Amino acid sequence: MNEQNESVLYDLLRRGYRQVFYENWPIWLGGLLIGIMSVITFAWARPWGVAGGLRNWGDWFFNIVGVYEKAPLSPLISTNSILTLGLLWGAFGSALMSKQFSIRIAPPLELIKGIVGGIFMGVGAAMAGGCNVGGFYTAVSALSMGGIAMMIGLLVGAYVGLRYLYWELEHLPTGQGGQPPSGGKEKGFDWLSVEPIAGAGVFLGALVCAWAYASQAYTRVGGLLLCGIAFGVIIQRTRFCFVRGFRDPFMTGEGEVARAIAISIVISILGFAALKWTGLRAESVYVTQTFWFGSLVGGMVFGFGMVLAGGCGSGSVWRAGEGQVKLILAVACFALSTSLFKALINSSQGLKALMGKRVFLPDYLGYKWTLILFVLIFAAYYLAATWNEETDKFTVEM
Amino acid sequence: MVDDIKPDETLDCRGLSCPMPVLKTKKAIGKMKSGQVLEVLGTDPGTKNDMPSFAKRAGHEYLGAKDDEGFTRFYIKVG
Repeated sequence: MNEQNESVLYDLLRRGYRQVFYENWPIWLGGLLIGIMSVITFAWARPWGVAGGLRNWGDWFFNIVGVYEKAPLSPLISTNSILTLGLLWGAFGSALMSKQFSIRIAPPLELIKGIVGGIFMGVGAAMAGGCNVGGFYTAVSALSMGGIAMMIGLLVGAYVGLRYLYWELEHLPTGQGGQPPSGGKEKGFDWLSVEPIAGAGVFLGALVCAWAYASQAYTRVGGLLLCGIAFGVIIQRTRFCFVRGFRDPFMTGEGEVARAIAISIVISILGFAALKWTGLRAESVYVTQTFWFGSLVGGMVFGFGMVLAGGCGSGSVWRAGEGQVKLILAVACFALSTSLFKALINSSQGLKALMGKRVFLPDYLGYKWTLILFVLIFAAYYLAATWNEETDKFTVEM
Repeated sequence: MVDDIKPDETLDCRGLSCPMPVLKTKKAIGKMKSGQVLEVLGTDPGTKNDMPSFAKRAGHEYLGAKDDEGFTRFYIKVG
């Protein structure tokens, strides 16, 4: 009897593992979970962001090599850095658990696109006060008009980027004979079979780190590391990709990801509004001084870069965690260029003023009408993506 | 079974990541005749989700995939 119970338990655990790490999660579930995590993260300490962490790493690098005199906040303590580190960590662990981690080397032109796309994203994020997460997703949740302006910019940038990809397919003979990746798994030892064990170790290490932070009175930072890891796992397992929400309606006409983003952001908007309206969190949080020029133009530059790189702020980081060399390059170039461009903007009052103003919509419309308006905007986005799926009105032919 | 499929054309997308495999597939299929079978070689884990949904949306028949040494072969019948 006892033995039978044990085998049932073992079977349940095995099935659970397969469900979580082998089978695909639906994309709408990713949207739902990201929305919930976005609110939990804000309630715990601060909103979710990705580009801020990359900038912190860029600042840290330039300080080490002597370009910047002033040292940034240590990447070990900066909440920006910790959230992005958590995303990378979670995606890495999740890829290992799913046996999807391997170093994938792309053909040369793809690597160049990763580098150039990363630089564009860094510049765009510096202008818009964040990437597709901080500048768009979280900014919209924070009821900042900058988020809406960046959304328009992202759509324009993604469209132009897709046009470039079509042009490239016709004119540049790339990819053909792209080096089959060695993968590092076919020779001798079967690395894939031990990946889940390594993955479990990676997650255990994260728990130990969070505990270590807590013991040093950095409980908030440790908690944020775990929040970042949750984002990493959710996003890797659902392959949640903001690029697809903006690019696919033009490319294949598919609206699945656009719909998932709409669902996600409405949850996040309502959660943020609850935290701000009740006074639990400051109203100014994530309302950046970038409306409208910085957000709109930054969004266009970022949107073009993310299509070129094949990953946005969050998307590049999780794919880097999966071992894709193109995206590792994109992340590194993103970090360096966003640090330099932000330093340039900060060095000039004129440039700073050009980026724009801080516009918190409830200051003008009140919370009620702002919420109604924002929910309507994303309901319209949801509807437009679905309508396009049926009619292919926005889809661009090759 | 996908084991018995004899492809008319083969497209090598190994080393490429999203969205290049789907775009190249779209382009290659445009030059093929209805009823022909395209084989796509890929290494990006995302392609396993993208190929079936692309084929369905574009009106082609997704025949399946099989894992090879370090990459996956996908089969699509042009609709």
